[in-house]
Amino acid sequence: MNGAGRRHLRGLLILVCLATVAAVLRIVIDRDPEGHIALAWPKPEYAWLRWTALAVGATVGSSLATSGVLLQALLRNPLASPAILGITTGAALGVMTAMYVGHVTGMDSAWTSTSVTPALAGALAVMGVVYVLSQRRGRLDPVSLVLVGVIVSAVCGALIMLLQHLVPSGLHGEILRWMMGRIPEATPAMSLAVAGAMAASGIVIATSMGRAMDAATLGDDEARSVGLSLGALRIWLFLLAGALTAGAVALCGPIGFVGLIAPHAARLLLGPHHTPLVPAAALAGIILVVGSDVARQVIDLGAGRMPIGIFTALIGGPAFIWLLLTGRGQA
Amino acid sequence: MSVAVRGVTHRYRHTGGDAALRGINVDAAPGRITAVLGPNAAGKSTLLRCVIGALTPTAGCVLIDGTPASELDAGTLARRIAYVPQRPLVAAAFTVREVVELGRYALPASRRRIDLAMEQLQLQGIADRPFPLLSVGQQQRVTLARAVAQLSSGGHLLLDEPASAMDLYHAHTCAALLRRLADEGATVVIAMHDLTAAASMADECWLLRDGRLVAAGPTSEVMDIQRLQEVFGVEFEWVRRPGGDSVLIAGSP
Repeated sequence: MNGAGRRHLRGLLILVCLATVAAVLRIVIDRDPEGHIALAWPKPEYAWLRWTALAVGATVGSSLATSGVLLQALLRNPLASPAILGITTGAALGVMTAMYVGHVTGMDSAWTSTSVTPALAGALAVMGVVYVLSQRRGRLDPVSLVLVGVIVSAVCGALIMLLQHLVPSGLHGEILRWMMGRIPEATPAMSLAVAGAMAASGIVIATSMGRAMDAATLGDDEARSVGLSLGALRIWLFLLAGALTAGAVALCGPIGFVGLIAPHAARLLLGPHHTPLVPAAALAGIILVVGSDVARQVIDLGAGRMPIGIFTALIGGPAFIWLLLTGRGQA
Repeated sequence: MSVAVRGVTHRYRHTGGDAALRGINVDAAPGRITAVLGPNAAGKSTLLRCVIGALTPTAGCVLIDGTPASELDAGTLARRIAYVPQRPLVAAAFTVREVVELGRYALPASRRRIDLAMEQLQLQGIADRPFPLLSVGQQQRVTLARAVAQLSSGGHLLLDEPASAMDLYHAHTCAALLRRLADEGATVVIAMHDLTAAASMADECWLLRDGRLVAAGPTSEVMDIQRLQEVFGVEFEWVRRPGGDSVLIAGSP
């Protein structure tokens, strides 16, 4: 095994160990009604709640992180993330629309906020608009993709605010909690199964495209000249990133920074090769999301468990600025 | 085994319909170095991009070893043509060696070919340095090594200003390498602005102006002083050196 191979193996082992620690902590940390923290294996009657939360966190963390790797390769921009293409806000708009329709028609609003379908529909609709508007000379253009994504994201954000304005104040709290991100301890088995299957297959497919993503770091003409079918690769990366993001948003709402920070953490440990980078970023995403979920079990500010989006933003925001200031985000 | 350009016209949509190339007919033969010359916006880079399949000609076609380039998939083209762009880009912190290895993306891995290409461009000393941290001249040497590692026997090597940022020593090393590759049977086509270098290294020249072919043929015939002055708007002079050979010197407008 050469030096790069040893670095990859060492990095993956470190990430597996950290992910295991985060997972075990999520299962055994127990806080009683008085707020005392203890480490104990959960009682059988509510153990499944913690296992569900762990499965949701792992699915969401790995999906968003893998999506981040794919988008950074697609856009040749290490500061790209799922939010930049409007996919996250598109999925959120889908859920908000379903909530509003549920309110108007009297349907059960719990269904609307836990089903994968509205989020997938919203994400796919936005992806379709962004894809069509980002064509230049018959090809998907990365620069147009970012510009169109930012604009579509802003429009979706405005529509979300409009829907918030239209629903009665009683529903505001539910919408706000969903928008800040959450890791539910109870979620429909079908939603979790669909999102989990999408995450697992997405990671496998993305890993198999690792060499192509390496070649795609070259300029367009150069990448084609070494034998890469760049147009086909970009379509695959775009669709896969969109599907993974939609599945994650459907489960947990829009959680920020995971798709940006996890790939960089993995890249610092393993280097730029995409084949080992994809599973490593997925592990880093699991560590970030499950670790944040553990933190919100432990930290109590007297107002109940905090939304997980607060933790990922508090970790991801400073990390993003550090990447910018140190130049590590450039490569 | 050759590159043939047949009646190629190309229009960029954003230029409002003006043709960047107009009915170009040229041939590049194996074992020869062909220089593509012309002022800025003459169509040199556009012509190379049509040959490598990055642009689809508005009219006409490019034949690679007798087969229309449009009928060849990316992998087949990569086995026949290696390309060096005007501006090297690698959007990741790959090391020099890892960038050279990308030349074998569509081809069987070959440690020997990688080592040889790095040795020919004298890159062993910086093999583990990240590509983005190199000077532009060094990046050009790495990009050329990547193309050399890709180049198959009897293949075609197209280069767009490959040595524009290299120091004199490495520019000469690069020119000597291209001559060696041509002698081994490669078709070498190189777009360049340095007419002195073109005069000393090229067997054939294609001279372009405003997307039209002004002249094509042996270097000594194409690089006529009067013609060069008309195309470039600058005075030229052949100066005989003590060794007996002549060099082309550019003067003032």
